[in-house]
Amino acid sequence: MKSSSGFSKFFKVATGIAAGGPILIVLAIIIALLIDSIPVFRFQGFSFFTGMSWDMGNSYSTALTIHGGEKAAFGASFGILPFILGTLLSSLIAIVIAVPVALMTALILVYKVPAPLQRILSPAIELLAGIPSVVYGIWGILVVAPFVQYNLAPVLLHLGTIIPFLGGPIQTGFGLLTAGLVLAVMIIPIVTATTRDLLAQVPKLPMEGAYALGLTSLEGIRFIALPWIRRGLLGAVVLGWGRALGETMAVLMVSGGAANMPTNIYSAVTTMASAIAADLDSAMNDYTNMSVHAITGLALTLLVITLVTNMVARLLVRIGRKSSDMEVQA
Amino acid sequence: MSMVSPNRTIFQSGFTANKNKRRSISLLFWSIAGILLILVLGIVVLILGTVVYKGLPGLTLTTLMTDTSGIAGGLENAILGTLVLIVASVVLSGVIGVLGGTYIAVFARPGIASVLRFATEVLAGVPSIIIGYFGYTVMVVQWGFGYSLLAAAISLGVLTLPYIVRTTEASLRQVPKTLYEGGLALGLTQEATLRKVMFRPALPGIFTGLLLAISIGLGETAPLLFTAGWSNFNPTLTLVHNPIAYLTYVVWTYSQEPYHAAHQLAYTAGLILVLLLLILNIGVRFLQRGSSQS
Amino acid sequence: MLNTIMKTMGVSTLTKASKGSLVAIAAALLVSYAGYTGLQSHVASQAAKPAASTVRLQETGSTLLFPLFQAWVPAYKKVAPNVLITPAGTGSGVGIQDATSGAVQIGASDAFMSNGQLAKAPGILNIPLAISAQQIMYNLPGVKQNVHLKLTGNVIAQMFEGKIKYWNDPQVAKLNKGVKLPHLLVSPIHRIDGSGDTFLFTTFMTDTNPVWSQTVNLGTSVTWPQVQTSLGAVGNNGVVQQAQKVKGSIAYVGISWLDNGLKAGLGEALVQNKAGKFLLPTPATISAAAGQMIKQTPKDERLSLIYAPGANSYPIINYEYAIVNKKQASPAVATAVRNLLLWGISPTGGNKQMFMNKVHFLPLPASIAPLSRAQINEIK
Repeated sequence: MKSSSGFSKFFKVATGIAAGGPILIVLAIIIALLIDSIPVFRFQGFSFFTGMSWDMGNSYSTALTIHGGEKAAFGASFGILPFILGTLLSSLIAIVIAVPVALMTALILVYKVPAPLQRILSPAIELLAGIPSVVYGIWGILVVAPFVQYNLAPVLLHLGTIIPFLGGPIQTGFGLLTAGLVLAVMIIPIVTATTRDLLAQVPKLPMEGAYALGLTSLEGIRFIALPWIRRGLLGAVVLGWGRALGETMAVLMVSGGAANMPTNIYSAVTTMASAIAADLDSAMNDYTNMSVHAITGLALTLLVITLVTNMVARLLVRIGRKSSDMEVQA
Repeated sequence: MSMVSPNRTIFQSGFTANKNKRRSISLLFWSIAGILLILVLGIVVLILGTVVYKGLPGLTLTTLMTDTSGIAGGLENAILGTLVLIVASVVLSGVIGVLGGTYIAVFARPGIASVLRFATEVLAGVPSIIIGYFGYTVMVVQWGFGYSLLAAAISLGVLTLPYIVRTTEASLRQVPKTLYEGGLALGLTQEATLRKVMFRPALPGIFTGLLLAISIGLGETAPLLFTAGWSNFNPTLTLVHNPIAYLTYVVWTYSQEPYHAAHQLAYTAGLILVLLLLILNIGVRFLQRGSSQS
Repeated sequence: MLNTIMKTMGVSTLTKASKGSLVAIAAALLVSYAGYTGLQSHVASQAAKPAASTVRLQETGSTLLFPLFQAWVPAYKKVAPNVLITPAGTGSGVGIQDATSGAVQIGASDAFMSNGQLAKAPGILNIPLAISAQQIMYNLPGVKQNVHLKLTGNVIAQMFEGKIKYWNDPQVAKLNKGVKLPHLLVSPIHRIDGSGDTFLFTTFMTDTNPVWSQTVNLGTSVTWPQVQTSLGAVGNNGVVQQAQKVKGSIAYVGISWLDNGLKAGLGEALVQNKAGKFLLPTPATISAAAGQMIKQTPKDERLSLIYAPGANSYPIINYEYAIVNKKQASPAVATAVRNLLLWGISPTGGNKQMFMNKVHFLPLPASIAPLSRAQINEIK
């Protein structure tokens, strides 16, 4: 009995320590990134976030660029705005495409597709979620990029007079749009699966009542099903967005990889995550180490953006929960 | 009655007048949804088709049974390396995750539980490239692990940990707290109550979480690039300074080589990854179906 | 499975699964895995009983050298069965870093280490293993593949700077009398991942274009001029694929990808050398250029071979380096590294034509080999 309670205590302590794991890891990552990126903030100041030029400088020159008391390779300047924009825009495009597609796919699966068929189709779609991102990258190169360049972009160009961002020039199939499309395909299964699960929880009775009242199936969805799942749907969208923000390999392979500010939807861009993967190697050639500090700063910024996104999502979900509670009460 | 009936007629007449229009809007909506469903399914077929079409010619027994060598060779080392990596990482994240999830679900006070839950969610949101970068600078270089099973398994473990914590917590929470209290009231020790009353019903959920972690680890490249390195040989269980092969590396690196044989190997590695994933998927689904019947 | 992900994230709650089947599956997975590894180790121990003095060597770095190392591995297994080599293509920067920090024994790099880098890492050797080159390729419909356009470094630089906008620009036309050049936008393609190819190309640009050194300069990753039509690509494969798709493109491509580029229908440019002659990279022109640079090669062999003098010298060539720490972890490891590298640069070993042909490299010239050997023998 005594040894058993001793074990209980030990067990409890062990679980407590383990539960602290995630928080310790997150703190360790943040602190390590913060400490390692201080030099670049000293060197570059606030223009680290607003600067439009990312240049690791000439590491073969013996001359140095010195700023804020920090040394960097000659001609170096580290502005990550193009990467921030590339990340936000490509993930935004992905969300704008993926959410309506996923939502409508889930709706038709739940309300129109016969159950036996649904049992085959749903897992098939969800299979997309598990495909490795490098495989997506290869698929993007082989299939999506040519499709964008030769089929999609020429059509979209016509809309350029209405929405300037859709105007040319097209250049190649590698850029924002292709990255957004590949990302969209990567997050469609996430949003579809959640929405389908959420719809399954919508109580049958009000829906049947709505049909009995003469509402069409679309109206039933609009007035009953969608309000019911709103909160969960938002969570799924943000989860998908989070995945798009942090995706590295697939984007690296299809985004065209320019460190310039995007001028239109076909522009070659680089995202923060893919810039880390692409530039880490060159950064290590910089004997002043400033390039590595800059990469760390980039990682820190990406982390902060992802974390803020997650927190905002939680906040939204909480607000949404309150208001939907009130609706139920009213 | 006299108050209700005129209202009702207005309501009904308004309804019938628009009925055709409303019907056609609904029809239009479902037609678009149908097209989108076919489109999404088409993409699934297209991707799987591309993977199978490109990968199948290289999928032979020799490929599975020989090591990567030169610019081609087989995939045995990468397949085994992937398995070792995944087992090692899931052992790490499984132990910590199940214990941690138990604490949050059973022992933690509500305030602390929500903080820990939040931290877990935050960790789930950390992009995998950052975990890889952290793993490289801290473990490979600073701690001197070198490219190693340990550095790679810890990176993958960190990546999968939050999922296991969350599934464990959710599974335990499904067990009514009254059962736990009842167990204690019956004079069982805390440990025995946990083991007999809480964990038994929660076990399937926890296992599903572990399978989930495996499927996540299987497809990752970014956190492994700078921690696992690459090896032409089958994995050994040496923990540090011992690079290890994995399948996504083959897809990434060999697709960039100038040789057809190397490309073929990359495509085949992609196919094997997708097949493994399919098996895992079917496994989980099989379990879930079993659960819905019980 | 996705349901489970979503549920895990707290979107909805987890359903109970049937535990019997789950445990069975888990057990089956475990048993089959255990069985497989058991079988593996059994097979492994049967197949080759490595001597007690097995040495494991790791190489990381240049993706250009990676295929050569990969080709060496099976051949070297026959020479020294107790040395297990595992090369990995990570990029030159990582290779240098790893060799310096001791994470690996051999780093591979297309570029030699800078003075600044070397000052931070004393005792690191830069040992040439072979000679590589880079060709300029273009996609010009209407210009046949056997008609090689003549280009100078200065003209190429102006294309990458956006100053020469169309292929029928007078500067290009003047070099290519008799070739009908299309009025097509020039799309310069560059690497976006850090790359030794970029280092070679930008060095050539710096040597031939007066403005380049003050604007773009040289490095494994540079800030490219903002040209509307310019494009980036990952890896040499990506460059070739991109160039194949984009009409009017021009790109620098590592010599190992020459066959791929030609197969993709790209043209290969005759590039003007220092003596004013227009040449293709061939074994003859590459070794001619290397021959010119032999005398200038210092003892530590860190030297740019770009824009070599001599009438028959192709202008864009380089040494491919092994980056090695003089002090290895143990004498046994040092011996293994020494032997591998000595075999690697030997004309009857790793510098054999059959290996070189695969990647289009050239063997180390006989007069340079002693310098490399001297450096290799410093490894202790």
